[in-house]
Amino acid sequence: MNTTIAAISTPLGKGAISIVRMSGENALKIALKVFSCSQKIEPRKMVLGNLNLGQGSEKCLMVYFKAPFSYTGEDVVEFQIHGGIVVTRLALEKLVENGAKLAEPGEFTKRAFENGKISLDEAEAVVNEINSESEAQLKIALSSASGKLLKQTKKLQNNLTELLAEIEVSMDYPEEDENEIVRDKIFSVLKQTQNEIDQTITNAESLRFAKNGVNVALVGKTNVGKSSLLNALIGEEKAIVTSTKGTTRDVVEASCDIEGVRFNFYDTAGIRESKNAIEKIGIEKSKKFLAESDVVLFVVDGSADLDDDDKNVLKLLKKPYFVVVNKCDKQRHLKKQQNEIEVSALTGQNIEKLKKTIFDSVIKDEIDFSSSIVGNERQLDHLKNASKQIKSFFRHKNESLEILSMLIKSIWNELGKITGETENEDIISMIFSKFCVGK
Amino acid sequence: MKEEYEAIVVGAGHAGCEAALALARKGHKTLLTTISLDAVAFLACNPSIGGSAKGQLVSEVDALGGEMGIIADKTTLQIRMLNRGRGPAVQSLRAQTDKTQYHTEMKKVVESTPNLFLKQAEVVDIKQKGENIFVKTAVGDIFVAKVVVFATGVYLDSRIIIGSYTEKVGPNGFKNAKKLSSSLRKLGFELQRFKTGTPARVNKRSIDFSQLEVQPGDDDIQSFSFMTDKKAKNSANCYLTYTNPTTHEIIKANLDKAPAISGEIKGVGPRYCPSIEIKIVRFADKDRHQLFLEPEAASTSEIYLQGFSTSMPADIQKEMIHSVKGLENAEIMRDAYAIEYDCINPIQLKPSLESKICEGMFFAGQINGTSGYEEAAAQGIIAGINAALKLEGKDPLILSRSDAYIGVLIDDIVTKGTSEPYRMMTSRAEYRLSLRQDNADLRLTEIGRKVGLVDDKRWKRFLAKKRSLELAKQKILEKMKIDKKIKEFFEKNGENVPKNSISYKEMLKRSNIDAFKINKEFGIFQGLNNDVLNELNLITKFEGYLKQQEEIIEKMKKMEREIIPEDFDYQKQKGLKIETIQKLSQVRPLNLGQASRVSGVSPADIAVLSVLIKKFKEKKGEK
Repeated sequence: MNTTIAAISTPLGKGAISIVRMSGENALKIALKVFSCSQKIEPRKMVLGNLNLGQGSEKCLMVYFKAPFSYTGEDVVEFQIHGGIVVTRLALEKLVENGAKLAEPGEFTKRAFENGKISLDEAEAVVNEINSESEAQLKIALSSASGKLLKQTKKLQNNLTELLAEIEVSMDYPEEDENEIVRDKIFSVLKQTQNEIDQTITNAESLRFAKNGVNVALVGKTNVGKSSLLNALIGEEKAIVTSTKGTTRDVVEASCDIEGVRFNFYDTAGIRESKNAIEKIGIEKSKKFLAESDVVLFVVDGSADLDDDDKNVLKLLKKPYFVVVNKCDKQRHLKKQQNEIEVSALTGQNIEKLKKTIFDSVIKDEIDFSSSIVGNERQLDHLKNASKQIKSFFRHKNESLEILSMLIKSIWNELGKITGETENEDIISMIFSKFCVGK
Repeated sequence: MKEEYEAIVVGAGHAGCEAALALARKGHKTLLTTISLDAVAFLACNPSIGGSAKGQLVSEVDALGGEMGIIADKTTLQIRMLNRGRGPAVQSLRAQTDKTQYHTEMKKVVESTPNLFLKQAEVVDIKQKGENIFVKTAVGDIFVAKVVVFATGVYLDSRIIIGSYTEKVGPNGFKNAKKLSSSLRKLGFELQRFKTGTPARVNKRSIDFSQLEVQPGDDDIQSFSFMTDKKAKNSANCYLTYTNPTTHEIIKANLDKAPAISGEIKGVGPRYCPSIEIKIVRFADKDRHQLFLEPEAASTSEIYLQGFSTSMPADIQKEMIHSVKGLENAEIMRDAYAIEYDCINPIQLKPSLESKICEGMFFAGQINGTSGYEEAAAQGIIAGINAALKLEGKDPLILSRSDAYIGVLIDDIVTKGTSEPYRMMTSRAEYRLSLRQDNADLRLTEIGRKVGLVDDKRWKRFLAKKRSLELAKQKILEKMKIDKKIKEFFEKNGENVPKNSISYKEMLKRSNIDAFKINKEFGIFQGLNNDVLNELNLITKFEGYLKQQEEIIEKMKKMEREIIPEDFDYQKQKGLKIETIQKLSQVRPLNLGQASRVSGVSPADIAVLSVLIKKFKEKKGEK
């Protein structure tokens, strides 16, 4: 029997609707654990219902294809989701929590092929799909965001390799009494591994693009029209506008979705040199925020040339930025700037162009971005499994050394699915490099 | 003059003897050649059989109908079960065996086996013409057969090294095989150069045993072979001593004379069995190393110094030995030496141990780059069985990684090759919980019977054991009401008393209760022997873990059922990476499972491969 697999099957980031697809004998069962609707579910009939996402629910459409009349030839369920990356990703997460496995590269098409849904002549296309998806995944695994996760996981796995080598050497060389491992050491290494895995999961879960969106900082001296620009940017969207509570951070936040991705705009009010202590604190905060933002918009008034205040703000900018030349409805007095976009917050001129520029600067390639989500999802899935396994390990802590070793090996393998290192030879090499054994 | 046989086995060491016995017992007229009749089944290094993972191999060879376990039991001087406290799967028997007797007992069996002809001869040339393989000896004899098993051990173009002294001989001064290497090369075999070594032997009377720790054998004696009735006795002790800073100083001061370090020795030595000088260099922070003193045979005073393998010059060796506590006045009877030899690259073999390039030629033992008597015997019996099956026109016997350590061993070497002498270790077996020494008979006797090596006596005994085990399994399912006796039994063993009813099976799962205790208290297993009770105990206590392992095994087996057709040409496939194509066309795995174990092949490669194979098979079907 094939396991039930799930994946986001539309490119994320662009397009208003994303589709999450599941295939396998438990597809409907899993779907109904997270989806509720009042209509009767019938094959090939789209129904409207609620997708329970844990922290809230989302209206969405679901359609069920009964085997063998589906793309893969197995039972297939598809969800059509509005609401961008965050919701789509949550939906996939929920399906995995309820028993679906993340699909391997090209796995839907491969299943379709195996079940005779795709002709032999198309085999090459299947092969290409597997290859390109796995390459994309590899690229993502090495990219900065998941590269860090990969590095962390490698470190954790390596700790376990050393631990396993130590356990194994005591069993494979029982005559060498000096290699005896202390059980307490096993438990402390695993405890520590679990803490680190859990920490990594927490960190990765807050991977900003996916969960919190893209942070855009608006900087500039007062009165260049940052606030009205902000309003213009979010104006047409059904966006939530909030003021950050209190004045903990001297910025105003507003969010909107651009092509499915959440963008958070921060209006960093009043960056200027100041001797006033309180203002100084505010400025420090703004600087810190600038450093953490993904996109910086330097807003200037196009009807006047740059003055000292503008130049002071400019000094604070340590990374690439766009110059937003506001008030283009007025006579231009400002010299041509690098990376400039002329807009008018007042008339709304070029606001769409600005959005597109911001979007494109972060989301460079739609395939890459989508698999980065899926790639991370996969890594997280393995990390969560590993964490679960360590929890269960401690329920078996009184077992003999060989059972403990078997359980640790399984955790090691789970991490290996992230790092790509699952060769048993690594453990054996570690034995020989760390321990002096033999006749 | 040409003499015809059905099969020829070249080399009568541990691999060769098992291969020849398997062939002859299956009714094939077999010639077994050896460079010296005094070297048949010679324990060239340790006077011992078994050890971690190796004990499992011996019992597996036994279950298939091999000879090693029986001879080891017969010639045991001392026996111990290793890893008693670490779990059932890693427990292995290790016996000190009488080296002289081991050789004579095995030779006796070989000599008296019908269809088997033992002959002293050096094979110098191999030629293949059509279905026939011609084997030429140094004195000019020519023997012909359809199948040949090469089990030449460490004799191929070998030389021993002691300091600056080197001599082109085999182990222990036996003649080596000078010409066979070039003949194999001409046939297309890639040869590699490996190295191993053996420590000095000292006279027992010169050792001060009062300064050494005694290592006695077990009280509760067990056997390798399912067929051994008469349990061995511990008739000798081993002793433990240590090297010390003085020993290490002597070695360090003379490293320039160490061939293993100077580069004089070019062969690749095993990482797991380094010579003492390598240990001192690589593990400089250790201030002592263990040395075990083991008896070589009852008929001699020679004592084997395990842990002291070296190729240092003889005078330095003497100084080193004399620096060790208890060995201050040791008389050295044989010097330690290193030995270099040729072996093939096992990647050139199929999982049946038949060559991929020369049909009918099988390889087993150290010639395949492995080390150890037990590893050799394990390959020997498989090569013998498969050579016989080839003669009979039947499919080869291929044990999977979940069947036996033998399966792990052969799969490892033919799939990944080996860049050093390969030693079996329990950590190489991913399903080791299922591959225990205690259940080797249950795992493999039926297979041995099917191939025709398990005789009626063994078969009957096996069926009886299986039946008792089945009965016992049924028996423990019965539910009982908790009465006074059960209550007391639980309390006595420090377990919480269950509420209403309990089965013996549930009792068995309690950590302080075992089948022996239950039998003593309730007498329900009367008439069952300890073997069966032990088995019952294990499979009940580990039921959950075994089940978990079964699921993983099933996944692997699913992949192994996807056979890759022999005429599947990797070079013609679109979509596989060039690197992957190279690796896969070298190994030519039998199935997707084996393909997935080729190093550097990724899960995505396997997904692509499975699509391509399906397409290939269907296209072929269309024609």
